[in-house]
Order: sequence, then structure tokens, then C-alpha cells
Amino acid sequence: MEIREDLGPVRRRSMMMLLAIFLVLGALHFRMAQLQLIEGVHWRQMAENNRLRRLPLAAVRGRIYDRRGQVLADNLPAWNLLLFPDEARNLNETVLFVADLGIGGAASLHDRVNKRSVDRLAPMVVGENLDWNQVARVRSHQSDHPELSIVAGFRRHYPLGPAVAHAVGHLRMVSEEELVANPRLDPNSRVGAIGVEALADDFLTGRTGERWVVVSAVGRQLGVVREISSTSGKDLAVTLDADLQRVAAQAMGERGGAVAAIDPNNGAVRILYSAPSFNPELFSGKLSTEDWNELSNDPRLPLQDRCLQGTYPPGSTIKPFLALAALTEGVVTPDWSVHCSGGVVLHGHRFRCWRRGGHGKVNLLRSLEASCDIYYYQLGQRLGIDRMAGWLEAFGFGRRTGVGLPSEASGLIGSPEWSRRVRGTPWYPGEAVSVSIGQGPVLATALQLARGFAALANGGRLVTPHVVVNPEGADSIDLNLDPALLEQVKSGLELVVHGDQGTARSLAALPVAGKTGTAQVVRLQEGVDSADLAPHLQHHAWFVGWAPIDDPQIVIALVVEHGGGGGSIAAPTASIILSAALGENVDPAPGQGQER
Amino acid sequence: MEHRIDAWLILAVAGILGASLVTQNAVAGVVGPQLLARQLLWACAGMLTLLALSRVRLDLYARVAPLVYLIGLAALVAVLFFGEIRSGTRGWFALGPLTIQPSEFARVATILMVAAWLGRRSGSGLSAKEAAVLVALVGAAAGLVALEPDLGVTVTYLPVAVAALWIGGLPRRAWIGLVALGILVGVFAWHTVLKDFQKERVMTVLDPERDPYGVGYQVRQSKIAVGAGGLAGQGVGHGSQSLLRFLPAQHTDFAFAVWAEATGFVGATGLLLAYALLLYRIGMAAVVAENRFGLVLAVLVCAWLAFQVVVNLGMVLGLLPTTGITLPLFSYGGSSLLSTCAALGAVQSVWRHRLVNQ
Repeated sequence: MEIREDLGPVRRRSMMMLLAIFLVLGALHFRMAQLQLIEGVHWRQMAENNRLRRLPLAAVRGRIYDRRGQVLADNLPAWNLLLFPDEARNLNETVLFVADLGIGGAASLHDRVNKRSVDRLAPMVVGENLDWNQVARVRSHQSDHPELSIVAGFRRHYPLGPAVAHAVGHLRMVSEEELVANPRLDPNSRVGAIGVEALADDFLTGRTGERWVVVSAVGRQLGVVREISSTSGKDLAVTLDADLQRVAAQAMGERGGAVAAIDPNNGAVRILYSAPSFNPELFSGKLSTEDWNELSNDPRLPLQDRCLQGTYPPGSTIKPFLALAALTEGVVTPDWSVHCSGGVVLHGHRFRCWRRGGHGKVNLLRSLEASCDIYYYQLGQRLGIDRMAGWLEAFGFGRRTGVGLPSEASGLIGSPEWSRRVRGTPWYPGEAVSVSIGQGPVLATALQLARGFAALANGGRLVTPHVVVNPEGADSIDLNLDPALLEQVKSGLELVVHGDQGTARSLAALPVAGKTGTAQVVRLQEGVDSADLAPHLQHHAWFVGWAPIDDPQIVIALVVEHGGGGGSIAAPTASIILSAALGENVDPAPGQGQER
Repeated sequence: MEHRIDAWLILAVAGILGASLVTQNAVAGVVGPQLLARQLLWACAGMLTLLALSRVRLDLYARVAPLVYLIGLAALVAVLFFGEIRSGTRGWFALGPLTIQPSEFARVATILMVAAWLGRRSGSGLSAKEAAVLVALVGAAAGLVALEPDLGVTVTYLPVAVAALWIGGLPRRAWIGLVALGILVGVFAWHTVLKDFQKERVMTVLDPERDPYGVGYQVRQSKIAVGAGGLAGQGVGHGSQSLLRFLPAQHTDFAFAVWAEATGFVGATGLLLAYALLLYRIGMAAVVAENRFGLVLAVLVCAWLAFQVVVNLGMVLGLLPTTGITLPLFSYGGSSLLSTCAALGAVQSVWRHRLVNQ
């Protein structure tokens, strides 16, 4: 039989423990009574006067410098108005007070207050960049409106204004989707919308800090509970040249178009100017409805970036690439010549040369110098559309250049394969004739043309344009061009500027080689002169070229929308910019340039 | 023979869980609604665990205790290598959407092990060697938790060791020595181990207005919340203190303050009574148990839970420094809730098999 052990002492000890526990619980209950019953009124008053606020601490966004250290994007201190909606005694009255300051309409403010996110302690920015009058009025009514608070912040400033609007970019409010994807984002913050601001957003953006403060019932700050300081963004130097941007903006004036210039040796972008431009600082604060309507309804479409998104028929600027292709493929020799009588019949259609009277006997050099169309119709026929498309592709057409800026267009190279796949219609042999002078289904951006010409200028390396220097070095593709044949084409391009019959003689004072282009917007009917066309149907004027000829430092591609002739319009404009780039103050020679 | 499950204990647990869910619901607008859904799930799982474990025979607990204890230690070692880090503590296993905190479960394993060890020895009075074994059993687990480092959970192993020594019958002169040693260690720690913010927390208890917006902020806000509850409370979902987030950790460490603000002295007293009832019924299971293992098991669970209740409420009421110790069954947290319910299930097995002498 089992002996029951004596649990007596153990039981006694456990009962003592239990007793001790109940004594302590009793003490806790006494404390509860003290806090809630005896001191309850006192603590309730404390609760009512107790306000905790989370104040955002603005992070300075990195500055953007040009290649020589000129500031392209800066920050200016600004006063912002914060609203703590949950602290408002009468939100309607507050909204009216804010609207009365001249900051936004009461209706839209109401809308925003109602739609604000769940985070109730976070304030809303209801006014930005207040002037002294507004600051003074808020301060003097501070005790009536403790829910409003003036805080220091920063406002993005672009010293060059419209001259760099598309390239450097501007800011926009962070979107709902981004807020959902990244809850750490401050709903009142801005991110880069376009240009370098968007490309290098992560680099430029600092981290917003926060400060938790306790404030009294009238909004006076009593103490700081916790503070996480903000971290500034990093400064960034880009390859753009502020002086040249400014010259380009002046040279383009009121006309629409694009100017892209790169260093042919490494692809560093020097100019990206899209005209007409806009003031990027409109987006630094809250964009007013009037400003937005004016910008978005402007028929000249100032918001469109014509350097990267504007695709145009390249016109005659495509000729050097096709000439080099035909030479390399062996379908023509430098001495092969064509007789130009002003027109030719191919595939049952009559194709005209831009010069009605014809050029007479034309060889390779003359074909480039005088930009004879008949020569290239014939050359195109010998080359065939597939080889033309292949060579244009090799020079970077039909795809993005990889400059890294947002929404770059890829342009287009028409081919039978493209026609079937994309257009769904058969390819017409006549289209190949148009392609051989850069018309019809072939579209390019100014940056693509600058890059293509850079490959001619630098001896056959296709560089990657960039505005932010890649620390691993710029990558380029060697096109393996025959130096002798390339030299032939380059001589032709030199004659364009410096030859007797050159189409860009307005540049003759400068050591420039290049090519003009006049891209038709509509096909000219027999007997119609281009000067009679409506303004929006006028030709696009191109000039693409590099300088100096033997030691190329800059390649420029410039298009004036509906400007007319490449030689008469684009080349003189390019000469202003190139002379600035070369450090020479040369007035463009008056309109010596011919039509093409 | 088996007795029926203790309805009073179940009532206390259900009452605490219910109040907890009401509190989680009240703060859902601030901390997010998914926590309420999870806590509801954990509460149901906890209840089922309690009921299931109460049906397991008591001698089985004694037999598996060494194995469970070893598994617990292994998990504590594993989490040091494979665990997830949350605010500097490597203490969680991630299992899909769930995270498991092994330190909570290892405490139950340690209690089982200590109870089994004490249950096998007979006679009264602990020898120095036996006391050392007890301290080592608890210390091994607590040491591993301290390495994570999770000091809040480490401290909750302390009542297990103290209660084990007490119930085992440490001689009076040994207690005098221990208290003296404790004071010495405390003084030593104050000057060497404790960081400044920890010292500040202790100082704040002595002088509440010392730094009302810094270290003293939490305790001050907690006192304001409890005090503002008054007699009848501000109503569930109306406490401005809790809802406007003046109160930190309102769904975990300071959950009781939310409850006290919402329901006032009446509700706070009710919840305190529920804990008193719970601890009393655990104590009853110990007192009526006819075998040593069951008795010790219930006493250890009682000591542990009482410690957490007292330390957490002491903190919320501004009597003890802030330590990060949660209120059992009430604060948000699945591992804590499940391990507490598992321990209570074992206590219920003691209650049901109280007349069995192993």
C-alpha cells in the first residue's frame, strides 16, 4: 500500500503566497480608487488640455548642379500652414478662415479635409509659401485657431526657369498609389515628376523626420516627446550646360521645337531644350486651377517634351546614314553618280527632287552637299528596305537611346515586317522610296539624331546619352565602320556647311559639319508651293551637326516645328548655339542657306 | 477519478478575454482592424487549448516534462539563429503570416520541468545543492531569453524561480541571504548594467513630474487615461486619451489604461476582480491537490500570472517603472495568450485529477 505523503507544509506555504498576492491586488485597487475617484477630476482636466501633435520635419531635397557647378535646382525656405483637423472646434469656421487668407477655395479645402487618410494625428498642409501678411494674420488669430500652425519648409526653386523645365524637371504631389505602396511616405510630400527630378528622385530625396510635441489647449507647445531628425537628400551634378540651355532657349524664341546636344565622345548630354517651355516653379507649390488650365489647354503644348517625346520625320538628315550603309554594303561607290533632272518615276509614281530644276550630275559628295533627293531614291532602291532598316537600327533609331529620363519615345523605322505586325497592311514598295529621304514611315527624336551623328563624328562608336554620369563609365557600341568610307561621308557633311552649294552655309563661319533636313508634314501636290501652306502644315526644319570638325566636342540636333526649310531656319538657329558652345561670338551669316 | 472542470476559472478567463476584445475593438481605429480579428482568433484557439489540455491525465504532464523542457530550450537556441528581429530583439519565428514567440512557451515548459523535479523529491527543506538545481533549471531558459535580448520576458521567469524555492522549502537563513544578495546585485546593477533610460524610468516612479514629456511621458499619459475614466468611464470608444494616440502601446502594455478610461472605476474593478478570481481558483487547485507535482505546478502558474498582473498594473497605475511586461490574457499577442491558456489547461488537469495520488 502506498503511503500518502504529508503535503501539509507545502500547502501552508502556498496559502501564504496566495495571501500575499491578494494583499498586493488590494493595494492596486486602492491605487485605482485614488486615481479614478479621488483625483479623477484633476486627470480629466489634464486629458482635455492634453494635445499630442506629430509635426513633420522637412527634409532638404538635394540640389542639382550643371556640369560647371551652376545651380539648376535649389531650395528656398518657405512658410507653410498646417491644419490639425481633429483639434478644430468648428471645422467649417476654420476652413472659412483659411480661405479668407487667400489660400485656396473653401469648397476644395472641405473636400480635402474629408478625404484625408486614417492617420489622425498627422497634419494636413493647407497652405504653402505664405507671404508675411498671411503669416501675421494666422499668428494674430492663433488662440482662436490653435488647430492651425505655421511651420518652416522648403520650396523648390529653378534659377533658370523655363530654360531647363523639361530636362531638369519639376515636382508633383505624391500619388495615392505611392502612399498605399509605401506607408512611410509623408502624404504632404512631393516627388520628381519628370526630367532629372524624376530620374534621380531616390538620390535627391531626403528622409522626412518627425517631432512629437504636446501642446496646450490654445496651441502653445509645452514639450517635445520624441524627435526623429530629418536627413537631407544628396546633391547631384548633371552633364547639362546651363549657359547653353539658356542660349538654346533664346535662340528658339517663340517657335516650337527641340534642341538636343551631346558630347560625341562619351554621350554626356549638354542641351535638352524643348520649346515652347513653361515655368517649372508653378509645380513647386500648390498648382492653381487657372495655371493648370492655362498650361494644359495651351494649343502649343508647352508641357510636351519635344526632345524625348517629339518624334518627327528626320527628312534629309537621314541621308548620311544611308550613304554610309550603301557604301559599306558595296551597292554604290563614292564615284557612282546619278543624273538629277528634278524627278524620277519609280514603281509607277513620279518622285520629285526638292529642287524643281534638278541638280544635274550628282555623286556622293554632291548628294550630301546639295541634298539631292533623286540620288537617294536610287540609292535606296539599290539598298532595299530591309538593309536600310537594319542600318538605321544600328545607328540607334527605332529604339530608346537609354538616356534614362522618363517617357522617352522610341521613334519608328518602317519595314515590311513592321507593316505586317503593327500596321496590319501590306508594305508598298513606294514607301521605301520615301524612307530613303527620311519621309513616310520613319520617325526620330532629336536626341536619336544627335546620337546617330555622334557616331559619325567620333569614328563609329554609338554612345549612350546620359545626364547623370554612370560611375562605371559610359557604355558605347563599336559599329565597326570602314574608316575610309566614313571619311567620305564626313567630307560630304563638311561640304554641307562649307561647300559652294552647301545647304547650311549660314554656319560657314564656324568649324561645323552637319546636315540640314526639311521634313514634310503633308505631301505637296503638283504646283503647290510650300510657302503657301497653312502654318500648322509647314515643314519641320532640321539641322544636325558637330563642331569642331576634326576634334568633335559637341553634336547638336535641332528641329523647328513647322519652321520651313532646314537651311534657312534651323541652321541659323543652330549657329547661335554652336558659336556659344565654341566660345565664339559669331553672328549667323544672313540667309545664305538654300531650301534643304 | 476525474472531477469536472472548474467553471469559476473558465468564467474568469472568458470575462478577461471578453474585456480584452472590447478594448482591442475600441483601439482598432488607431492600430488597425486586423489586430482585433487576430486576437479574436487567438482567444478562440486559447479557449480550445485550455479545454483540451485539461483532459490530459496529470501523470502524463510529469512524464513528458523533461522532453517538453528540452524542446523549449532548443527553440530558444534556434530563435537566436533563425529568429526574426523586432525592435532589436531576435525573438520570433515567422510562420507565414503568423509569428511565434518561443520565450512565452518555454516559460510554461520550464514550469512543468520545475514542478516535475520538485514533485519527485520528498521531505521538506531544500539543500543548497537542490536549490542550485532549481535555479539552474529556470536560469538556463531565462539566460537564453536574455540573450535575445528580451528583458521583459526574462524578468517573468523570476517569479517561477522564487516560487519554486519558496514552495520547495528553502530555510529561513537562506532567504535572508538571498534578499541581501538581491540588494547587493541591485546596487551593483544600478551602477554598471542599467542604462540611463532604465534608471530614468525608475526615477520617474519616485518623482512623476521629473520629465513629463520625455521618459515620464508614457506613465504620465497612462495615469491621465486611467484617472480620466473616473467612476463610470468615458464610454467604450470615447476615451480621448486612448483614441487620439496619446497613449503609447495602447493595445499591448497599456491596454488596461484604455479599458480603465473607457469603463472607469467600475470596469477596472470588475477586471481586477476577474484576475483575483482567476488567481484564487488556481490557488484552490493547488491547495486541494493530493499530489505534490500537481500542487507545485498550480502554485508556479499562480505565481507567474500574479507577478505579471501586478507588475503590469503597477506600471499602468504609475507605481512601478515601465518594463514592457504585458497583462496576461488581456494585452494583444498570440503567443502570450496561447501559452497562458496552455498553462491554465495544465492547472485544470490538476483540478480534475486532484484526488489522484501518483
